[in-house]
Amino acid sequence: MEETTRYLILSLEGESFAIPITSLLEITVPRNLQKDAKLSEIFEGKYEYRGKLIPVINLKKVLKVGGGPGGSLIVIKSSKGVLGLLVDTAKELLEAKQQPAPLPRGIVNPSMRYYAGVLRNREDLVLLLNEDGLLP
Amino acid sequence: MMNNYLLFRLGERLFGVRMQGAIEIMPWRRARPVPLAYSYVEGVMDYRGAIHPVFHLAQLAGLSTPGPIGFTAPDQEAPKGKSIILLQEGNQPFGVTVDMVVKMSRLEDPEGNAPEVKGINPQLVRGVRFDDDQEIIILSFERLFHAG
Repeated sequence: MEETTRYLILSLEGESFAIPITSLLEITVPRNLQKDAKLSEIFEGKYEYRGKLIPVINLKKVLKVGGGPGGSLIVIKSSKGVLGLLVDTAKELLEAKQQPAPLPRGIVNPSMRYYAGVLRNREDLVLLLNEDGLLP
Repeated sequence: MMNNYLLFRLGERLFGVRMQGAIEIMPWRRARPVPLAYSYVEGVMDYRGAIHPVFHLAQLAGLSTPGPIGFTAPDQEAPKGKSIILLQEGNQPFGVTVDMVVKMSRLEDPEGNAPEVKGINPQLVRGVRFDDDQEIIILSFERLFHAG
């Protein structure tokens, strides 16, 4: 039997991105975010997740996509700890039989760590996010 | 040495690439944009099961000003004639967008140091040739992937 890997597809201004389902902890709405003036511009505040305050980043600001902060909060775990991502929507689950293709060379600064590869979802190409590279 | 060159237009200027590196010519289609990519990157596209980068050649060559950082791919319909030429440099396939593919022509390979061509990114210029009294800027992409 072919092995599949599952991903959560999320949307930012109409474009699709993905995170591995193994990193996903919760999908919710961004309510009661606690502002923290000490955090940099990409942070929208802190969110209480299971009794702990976790940082919430606005993924559109990280990727410089533009638009409002988004109506869904996705809580994920990363090597730097648990964090929240503000996105427009969590769209669907993707079961991929193929490994993600690497992002081709020469298109982003090699030191940039936001992407882990490219996935195919029907006719769409989906950028796979590197959950460990999103926090500064 | 004579070789076949694919000639194409960017704005009013005529350019050429050696046919040896050209894989296919296709009508322009929107590439999947990659936020925070270099300004001359239109995005990535799936071609026969492989992911190819697509470069906005006019910006890469320095003929037009860069767009905003973030999503850089144009969303509008392609102007008539606009095409993507799939090329290969070493083992790296990639696409470049051009305004119009003109023809194939047999030209003498450029030799020696590349001349400076006003207004064109010198890293891309391999030489200059003439065909029917028209100047053709011969491009080479061998330095394109060195930074990446």
